[in-house]
Amino acid sequence: MLEETLVLFRNIRNPNYDKSLKGYLASGGHKALKQALGMKPDEIVQVVKDSGLRGRGGAGFPTGMKWSFMAKGTGKPSYLVCNADESEPGTCKDRELMLKDPQQFLEGMMIGCFAIGCNHGYIYVRGEYWPSIKSLNAAIDELYEAGILGDNVYGSGFKLDLTVHTGAGAYICGEESALLDSLEGKRGHPRVKPPFPAVSGFNGCPTTVNNVETLACLPYILTEGPEAFKAHGPENNAGTHLVSLSGHVNRPGVYEISMHASIREIIYDLGGGIRGGKALKGVIPGGSSSPVIRADEIDVNYSFDGLSKIGSMMGSSAMMVFDEDTDVVQLLHRITRFYNHESCGQCTPCREGTHWARQILRDFLSGNGSDRKLKRLHRVGQNMSGTTVCALGDAAAFPIMSFVSKFPEEFKNYFESTSPIAA
Amino acid sequence: MPVFYLDDQPIEFQPGEKVLPAALRAGADIPHYCYHPGLSVVATCRMCLVDVVDMGNGRPIPKLQTSCSMDAAPNMKIVTSNDKVSEARKLVMEFLLINHPLDCPVCDQSGECILQDYSYDHGTGKSEMEYNKRVYGIRDVGTFIQLERNRCIHCTRCDRFTREVTGTAEFGMFNRAHELTVDTFADRPMVNKFQGNMADICPVGALTEKEFRFKRRVWRLKKTPSLCLGCSTGCNTSIEYDKNEVFRMKPRENQEVNRWWMCDEGRLTYRQMNQREGRVMKPMGRIKGELQAISWNQAFEAIAERVKEMKPQASEVLALTDTRASNEELFMLKKLMRDAFQSSEVLFPMPSWEQPESDFFIDSIITTDRTPNRAGARELGLKGDTDGSLLKQAAEQPAKVVILLGNPFEQEAAAREKIGDAQLLIQVTPFLNEWSELVDVVLPGQLHSEKVATYTNKDRRVQRTEAAVVPPRQSHPEWEVLAGLMRALGQEPQVDSVEGVFAALAQEVRSFAGMQLSTLPATGQVLPGTVDDPGRAVKRLEKSSIA
Repeated sequence: MLEETLVLFRNIRNPNYDKSLKGYLASGGHKALKQALGMKPDEIVQVVKDSGLRGRGGAGFPTGMKWSFMAKGTGKPSYLVCNADESEPGTCKDRELMLKDPQQFLEGMMIGCFAIGCNHGYIYVRGEYWPSIKSLNAAIDELYEAGILGDNVYGSGFKLDLTVHTGAGAYICGEESALLDSLEGKRGHPRVKPPFPAVSGFNGCPTTVNNVETLACLPYILTEGPEAFKAHGPENNAGTHLVSLSGHVNRPGVYEISMHASIREIIYDLGGGIRGGKALKGVIPGGSSSPVIRADEIDVNYSFDGLSKIGSMMGSSAMMVFDEDTDVVQLLHRITRFYNHESCGQCTPCREGTHWARQILRDFLSGNGSDRKLKRLHRVGQNMSGTTVCALGDAAAFPIMSFVSKFPEEFKNYFESTSPIAA
Repeated sequence: MPVFYLDDQPIEFQPGEKVLPAALRAGADIPHYCYHPGLSVVATCRMCLVDVVDMGNGRPIPKLQTSCSMDAAPNMKIVTSNDKVSEARKLVMEFLLINHPLDCPVCDQSGECILQDYSYDHGTGKSEMEYNKRVYGIRDVGTFIQLERNRCIHCTRCDRFTREVTGTAEFGMFNRAHELTVDTFADRPMVNKFQGNMADICPVGALTEKEFRFKRRVWRLKKTPSLCLGCSTGCNTSIEYDKNEVFRMKPRENQEVNRWWMCDEGRLTYRQMNQREGRVMKPMGRIKGELQAISWNQAFEAIAERVKEMKPQASEVLALTDTRASNEELFMLKKLMRDAFQSSEVLFPMPSWEQPESDFFIDSIITTDRTPNRAGARELGLKGDTDGSLLKQAAEQPAKVVILLGNPFEQEAAAREKIGDAQLLIQVTPFLNEWSELVDVVLPGQLHSEKVATYTNKDRRVQRTEAAVVPPRQSHPEWEVLAGLMRALGQEPQVDSVEGVFAALAQEVRSFAGMQLSTLPATGQVLPGTVDDPGRAVKRLEKSSIA
């Protein structure tokens, strides 16, 4: 029986936890921050490298490595920008962290700022997350009042300001370079890379963009050591992670698990099985952009490597479960509609392809599908993937290609038999 | 210089240069839409994808790369001829065309449209799109350019142009995804003075010049390199004409003068090249108070006879010229005055002017100086009149013989009346003007679109024009008319071609020494010495960077 491994959620799962600064300090908070301020920034980067922490925003890039890419000696200020624009459909883990234990995340943010030499950190929060924004701002106010943030963090001489910036509702602004554009006050368009943000990011200065969950892991790594963090997962997949479990399960929610767990355990142990005791049809394992997997593929480790082995990805670890009654074509249409709506439109394949795919899927839903159109749909998806500036082209293409190749019979039903919806 | 290989062809590049510009410079073609050398790189059209089979260190890059944004590296091996690349181009073409109206038969861009060209070269020739195309309503964005949004392929060149080149940022991208479109902000019309460039850089027919709309199919147009004489910048242009009618003037790249750009006012100067109203078609003499057509011989004979009768002293002869005259014409005028009358009294207007400067280069190409060849006149040692005092002086002591080139001192009506009292006024001009009402003989001249000539711009750069259209049958270039006058007055001009005039000029004027018309570089040649125009004032435009 799988149970939660409480690292990030150790306070949140405590029903008596007081999320204010006082409560956080009482629970042993800021121990890691004080420890970090006594270290050299390079040492912190090394500890994070040793811990094997991989970014929790979707790509799974090693965080310590990312920090070490920061351009040095440029004479420009360095920036740490926290990507809290959590908009991948199905994902809601960062919201929990910001809403219920903001001080833990902010401690991680402060450690990150110190490690890369940033004196002004920005937190770019999704515009719809009003409660989280309020909670974060209140927490930052507390830190200023306590004299922790400001010119002299815990008497170390390190100067740090934190600013919360709210997005305006565009999914694309969760892409790191579009986020920086948006933060600068421009239209959020992903930038051409290289140069990477570590060389030229916010206002042309060296910038690191990290996910909320990634930063929230830092206090634990510093206090308990990199080995303790590593132990929570298999080789190369260190630490616990937060799974946003949603869909047709009995107990949806955000769970913290070690990366040793399998998908089946997560659905049936933590999620309490499929609602109404029905059979599982498939799982979208890492947010709507990850390739779908069928019910017979769920006995794999829910980790970065476990999922990439079966041709999918963990992404932002948002697991969407759907049962046997689900209409896969409608599901894909809904996903494609989302990516069509959220495409920024700058790259040709994504701008034209997402809309075209949506039109073809609408054809299926209105009973005008055909074999030829199914092939065309797959081809449009193929042509979108890997050909755009940012990953949104891929994000729109992966579901299309995987749904068509994993559930071809569902699409065929639409034009070969008379399904009630098609009629 | 280091070298990379494009389809096994070695291509030199400067360190830090991207693959696409280096390849284009070497004459290789990699299809592209959003890339323009004068704008920032966004790499969004995805047409310039290439396969990097070796980064220079023996390792390939698995995904196709956009050549416009990829740094060239020594010994890099790039392939554009394999299936992977042609497949990628095919799909970009397919995506671009699914919503393009394909209204080439009524589109002015047709014939110079790279969407058309690349569609033939790299497209599939068929489309699987079977839904309604995206349709936008008509938007009027200003007086100079026509916006047809259905044709747009969203390369954002126009958006970047107004941000990065003019800094006016009144044009931008709106909406997202397939509804992405270009438009002006808040329904305001365009305000910048360089809108024509947006039509030039638009790879398709989304932005076209209103002036040229529905006038002529572009494949009928012939192109001749020329200059704009609107102001003293001397933008390099290309005159585009068909059946002896000029249809438009486009900028020609010259990094030292106008880069790729040109102002809208300059573009419209092509209208004068077609103007027939007021054009002097034949020599004319004043007979019984009326200007009447006469032959060249009659004109020259009459002039020679009158001059012989008057026997003017050197102080009784005056020449006035405007600065639309070329270096050769000014030289011949000076020579005529010196050889025939021993006079050096050649006046040209030299008013003060402003050279605007700002953070944006393009602002410096419009000057307030409407005396295009004043630098040439100064170089030849003619007398520049900065404040009208020289002209006033000349008007106080009325000359007997006055030679006029073009339409000099057009604003000075009072002086004109006084000078007009001279016994013999000879005017060489392509168009009749206020002076023509006073003169005794009008000899037809030619426009710069009709002759080979050189002009010296504000920065002392000597540039040449080519003859594009055929001039009126009886007209001659001004240098030839002045040479004819010299002959009539008993002097041998010793020149028989424009090259010869230039050679004589180069021999006499030290700063031109060693220059030859036939070997003048296409981008012009700067005269030695410094720019020391006393009338030049720099005006700093306060404009903040928006890009």
